[in-house]
Amino acid sequence: MSKRIFQHPADSETGKRYWRSLGQLRDTPEFRSWMEREFPQGASEFQGGDVSRRNFLQLMGASVALAGLSLSACRRPLKNLVPFTKGVEWSMPGKALFFTSALPARGGGRPLVVTTFDGRPTKIEGNPAHPVSGGSTDVWSQASILDLYDPNRSGSVLKHGKSSSWADFETALQEILADAKSGQGLAFLVDGVSCPSRERLRQLIQSKYPEAKWASFEPNGNDLELKACSIAFGKGTCVVPDLSQADVILTVDRDLLGVEGDLDSVRRFAARRRVNTSSDAVSMNRLYVVENRYTLTGGMSDHRLRLASSRSGAFLRALALEVASLLGDKTLEATAACFKDADFKAPESWVKECAADLVSKKGKSLVLVGQRQPAEVQLLGFAVNASLGAMGQTLHVRPHHVALSLTIKELSEHIAKGKTNTLIILGGNPVFNAPSDLKWKDAQSSVRNVIHLSHEVNETSEIAQWHIPGAHFLEQWGDCLASDGSYMVVQPVILPIFNGVSELQLLANIAGVEPDPLKIVQETFFELRNQAPDSMHNWIETLKRGFFPSTPSLGSVYSFNAEAAAKSISDYKYPRSNQGEFELVFLTDSKVDDGRYANNGWLQELPDPVTKLTWDNALLLSPRAAESFNIETGDVVSLSIAERSFELPALILPGHADDSLSVAVGYGRKKTGPVGRGVGFDVYPIVTSESPRFRTGARIRKAGKRYSLAITQEHGSLEGRGADLTRQSTVAEWAKNSESENPDFFKKMGIDAHSPENFSLYSHPPLDDIHAWGMTVDLNTCTGCSACMVACQAENNIPIVGKEQVVIGREMHWIRTDRYFASDPGGEAEPEMVSQPMMCQHCENAPCETVCPVNATVHSEDGLNVMAYNRCIGTRYCANNCPFKVRRFNFFDYNERSIASLYKWNLISEKGMPESVKLQKNPNVTVRMRGVMEKCTFCVQRIQEAKIAAKVASRDRQMDKAPRVPADSFTSACAQVCPTESITFGDLNNPDSRIHRNRKDQRGYRLLEYLNTQNRVWYLARIRNPNLRMPDAHRAGSASRESHASNPRGGLSNSH
Amino acid sequence: MVKEITHSDMESPSIKFHTPPELIRPPLVQNGRSLSWITESVASIVEGPTPRWWIVSFAITAPIAFMGLLCIIYQISNGVGVWGENHPNGWAWDITNFVFWIGIGHAGTLISAVLFLTRQKWRTSINRAAEAMTLFAVVCAGIFPAIHIGRFWNAYFLAPVPNSNGIWPNFRSPLLWDVFAVSTYFTVSVLFWYVGLIPDLATLRDRARSKFAGLAYGLFALGWRGSNRHWRHYEMAYLLLAGLSTPLVLSVHSIVSFDFATSVLPGWHTTIFPPYFVAGAIFGGFAMVLTIMLPAARLYPQLNDLITRQHVDKMAKIILLTGSIVGYAYLMELFVAWYGANKFEGFTFFRARAAVDGSGWYQWSYWIMMFCNVVSPQIFWFQKMRSNYIVVFVVSQFVNIGMWFERFTIIVTSLAQDFLPSSWGHYSPSLTEKLTFVGTFGIFLSLFLLFMRLLPMVAISEVKLVTPDADAHTGSSSH
Repeated sequence: MSKRIFQHPADSETGKRYWRSLGQLRDTPEFRSWMEREFPQGASEFQGGDVSRRNFLQLMGASVALAGLSLSACRRPLKNLVPFTKGVEWSMPGKALFFTSALPARGGGRPLVVTTFDGRPTKIEGNPAHPVSGGSTDVWSQASILDLYDPNRSGSVLKHGKSSSWADFETALQEILADAKSGQGLAFLVDGVSCPSRERLRQLIQSKYPEAKWASFEPNGNDLELKACSIAFGKGTCVVPDLSQADVILTVDRDLLGVEGDLDSVRRFAARRRVNTSSDAVSMNRLYVVENRYTLTGGMSDHRLRLASSRSGAFLRALALEVASLLGDKTLEATAACFKDADFKAPESWVKECAADLVSKKGKSLVLVGQRQPAEVQLLGFAVNASLGAMGQTLHVRPHHVALSLTIKELSEHIAKGKTNTLIILGGNPVFNAPSDLKWKDAQSSVRNVIHLSHEVNETSEIAQWHIPGAHFLEQWGDCLASDGSYMVVQPVILPIFNGVSELQLLANIAGVEPDPLKIVQETFFELRNQAPDSMHNWIETLKRGFFPSTPSLGSVYSFNAEAAAKSISDYKYPRSNQGEFELVFLTDSKVDDGRYANNGWLQELPDPVTKLTWDNALLLSPRAAESFNIETGDVVSLSIAERSFELPALILPGHADDSLSVAVGYGRKKTGPVGRGVGFDVYPIVTSESPRFRTGARIRKAGKRYSLAITQEHGSLEGRGADLTRQSTVAEWAKNSESENPDFFKKMGIDAHSPENFSLYSHPPLDDIHAWGMTVDLNTCTGCSACMVACQAENNIPIVGKEQVVIGREMHWIRTDRYFASDPGGEAEPEMVSQPMMCQHCENAPCETVCPVNATVHSEDGLNVMAYNRCIGTRYCANNCPFKVRRFNFFDYNERSIASLYKWNLISEKGMPESVKLQKNPNVTVRMRGVMEKCTFCVQRIQEAKIAAKVASRDRQMDKAPRVPADSFTSACAQVCPTESITFGDLNNPDSRIHRNRKDQRGYRLLEYLNTQNRVWYLARIRNPNLRMPDAHRAGSASRESHASNPRGGLSNSH
Repeated sequence: MVKEITHSDMESPSIKFHTPPELIRPPLVQNGRSLSWITESVASIVEGPTPRWWIVSFAITAPIAFMGLLCIIYQISNGVGVWGENHPNGWAWDITNFVFWIGIGHAGTLISAVLFLTRQKWRTSINRAAEAMTLFAVVCAGIFPAIHIGRFWNAYFLAPVPNSNGIWPNFRSPLLWDVFAVSTYFTVSVLFWYVGLIPDLATLRDRARSKFAGLAYGLFALGWRGSNRHWRHYEMAYLLLAGLSTPLVLSVHSIVSFDFATSVLPGWHTTIFPPYFVAGAIFGGFAMVLTIMLPAARLYPQLNDLITRQHVDKMAKIILLTGSIVGYAYLMELFVAWYGANKFEGFTFFRARAAVDGSGWYQWSYWIMMFCNVVSPQIFWFQKMRSNYIVVFVVSQFVNIGMWFERFTIIVTSLAQDFLPSSWGHYSPSLTEKLTFVGTFGIFLSLFLLFMRLLPMVAISEVKLVTPDADAHTGSSSH
């Protein structure tokens, strides 16, 4: 029993806090006995080779949970350091530990598994056990790890902007609460996340202060959809589509596969797009998209209609009438008729054939309306779905687990009445992003006490009396619901680095309960499960899995209230535009969202999946609109709307509706860290509560100035190379050229159709390892969401370079998402969009290797094109000779120098990386210095780890030869994150592996085969599923035809 | 002088036979200058007081050279990022400048070695200066590959030095061949130049009026006494070095062209490159010789008897010839691109380069190249133009510019728009990059000015050998 005795050092007040991590657990008897056992419970499972790392991590997650359970229940629990030299047995220095957790987010939390090294989280993955994730994640989850270490996070309690302490705040809070009586003057403003523990605390608070006001605000949330749901299906409901059941999907102004969908939708959609044989292809779903500008959803569409957002209602009305007449549905006809006639006629044949297709798959079709559309338009969408038999089949109605709250508008009215004297804002940044007509800044200033909990000092904290540093979700216990309703525990993996306090802690203080988030979450958990608090087993099981599933959907309980819907629709006023005016659509940005991620460098530097714009937002407009105003990309445009005038740069986006303009909100933050400060243009001042998502009556004029936009892909046209680079076919065409008919159909396209057979004059060293690593990328399911780019950045310690460097063309991403627009001659206005992830192709006969003068890039026996950073002298010859231009050169010491001082003379400028950012780095990947070439390694560190694990596991069995890594036992970061499972990485030699099967897919082709580079990356050609009766069916696949228009002025090329 | 011979013994007196007119070669040294005059006039350049124009010129070029050095220091300390290179364009001005300078460095060795072996006696009055120019051009050329690498301090990895890691350079890489080729070329050129200098250094030593000059020239003259044995060894060494240099003239630029030709990039991957590059190098090199020699001959009028119109005429003809070869190569590239029917190559040649539709971003550079290198030298078909020093000088400048743009066109048009349109990217040079290039002109001209002041610009001993006086048999009457 005296094996390990921990000497608890005094809590350091001034020292660095970075190592205050998981090991800082209270030394309770239970925990001590846990650690003092020779082998922790279950450690025997870790022996032998059959246990995957994932099992191991679940085990370890449980062990920490158990230890955490016994934290003493004081207000600020005293926690002590356990030095790593005397660490617990399961913590092996240099070995990763994995913990389940979840990212609370609107529209459903993201189930996660967090990788930690020596107590510091370095990487986030999806929870493979969770049906919503299946191991995949999205851009925001991936990037959230950087937020944790953001050196500009708020680190102390501020009172009127001056440093204060938690104790002072607590005293002040108690005084406020003492005066609160029944809470007349008390108001809360929270975000739109569904968090059961917060809901529970809310109830406690409301029982204590029944008069307190509780409002929620989510600038890019689905409040309009919820409003429609409450009318159509009753209060407290929400809808969840099930795309796996849908054969025909129509989205109207909804970026279903992008910012308005979640992992679940994307995964279910992809499952219906994933085909391996030409006979499978008939089971593919078909996607009709109506939208004002190209989105990822539009890129995946089989038929796309460019239509201004303000005309979605008119379109939907026409569609509803068509569906009603086809089905003879009088109710739907009546509902649609309630919709006031619009001054716009949707293209008749398009609507007719689309409606016919939807009707022909009755019960298996689905119409989804954008969350930006007014509730009335959404109601009409529900009506169509009800008529199509989608309810309960492809569209489920569920209870919404957030109790009804006031809107921010109602709250501001309440404040205006002067009845609020204490406003508690949990997260969010309403001063920046509340609708401008609410004059929130003035409203907030008029409140005597404003307490703002935020992870950064932002515009709202600046004018709040109290600013409380918020804890990152990886720093404190919490919980949330996933989009499928399952309950997830937000498990912390590190103690607050910057002294952050969680929402639950603050609310518990107000509610007068013990502010111990773990205890609060556990109580919620047991309450939800109707269990006694002592049944710890379930809790531990839940932590291991990361969630417990929701009760089965009760869709049938809710029925569509056509009458209420019709009544509501008849009040709707159709938005009208005058001649020469545009509508202006406020986009949810796929990177900074409503501005909350503005200080995240990974996200700022991530190219927008469609525009490829980084470090900015811009006014998107169609090539035709641009031409009529003689505007080119990068011209500053003066935008006037309702007596307000703005200047912002224009970006010509092919496929944009001509009478529509789009601009992303969330940019132009003034009070944030140096990364996000002043990036882009703030358009919130023209967002009003009347028209929160789009408004009509915008006018533009060329301002006569230029603005430098950092666009990572200068050229968007395929230049007639579609048949070489992005091969496509249609279901019908593939059926004619099936595996038996024309096995080389996809292999003999473009230049490969008439290239002689390759042979090499030289003999190459054999690639004779037991493994042969390779990758396949299924273009049929890849949406181009770019999550792989951020995942790669997090995994491989890829630096950001800043806007100036991106403008020059020096972004460092190892994997990029190429996005092309292409069209048949004459069809330039309706181009097709194709996305193609591009990473090192690991050519067996690599052009880069032969030209390196110092042998810094060579080939490994298992088929990797490897870089020896230490050997590289940086001639850049390899990059020049790379046909795919995937090599990335460190033009500056991006890791050691701040973005702002790259050009300052090295010898007199400051060097070094912020301490906290160092903690994020993956210890298994070298941080590269300047002058060194780098590129995708196929995550060689993961390969090595897997090989070592296989070797360890087999040490007693096969001493003579290297053991084979079990099939698909690990994967690269990009493949792991991919929500659509488009990227597959694995061992080509292993017949059990997924890649072995994918590689044999008829659709497989390699880029630029004629160069005889023998790539190890196969692309699987894209199959489109057009409805041949549609007027635009002939356009499908135009991006892959031999010749098509490449009009340099058509907006496809963004010149500097 | 036309001799008319009347064949009086012919049968018919009415028929007159004319022998074809015999063209007498103009003497290589005009005005029948004596040997001592040659020594006197060349040595006086070094021995005389420093001319005012020299001081003014040096006061301009030296600071420019210094500025170039500062740019290089800044670039090495901060990283290649201070230049304009980016992701598709891994090379741009750096390698353009390298190939430009190394090309210029071809004329000297060609004149001294190839023309020596082919007994072209007119070379003697220009070979010294041309060789010096070669060396200085190679010095400037060597700067760029050295500093363009990301980690300058690890450049020694290029040397095949046995090391504990057992890592050798990659002998398959043309860049490594480049290192060997250029360093060999530089070494041999220095030796060749120096060996040729020895008799003249001895002359200067013997004429030296100050003790220091005598010592300095004496040190480098290696105790030359002009004995028969000395001359025998000297001539053997010179011949051997000429033989050694001759293949280098061809190899260096062939190997430089391999940097491009062995790659897979459309526009680089071309088998025509080695001869085309060599022709281009000679072309550019002669233009630079003229650029330097024409002003020098004007500033030192005594040199006009040594560097005569026929020298200029011959060099102009070489420019015409090599310029036409280069032009042929340009057209052949286009033909092969068309004949090959490879769409990627087709794009590079017919859209990125030889077009005016704007689909290639650097089409203008192609047309600058075409005009300067192919069109402008055609004026040398006219003897009148060849003998007009101003025309010759202007065309030489066109050629200098054109040859720089040739390399720019090859490097940047191919890199900026290659296989995948997604990775296409513009390139524009940074100020540092531009000033570094300007700085190398400062280095080049400063070195040349120093050379003019300190060493005999014309190979005294060699020129003497081609004067009639040197020929014991024919004496001074003929040659």
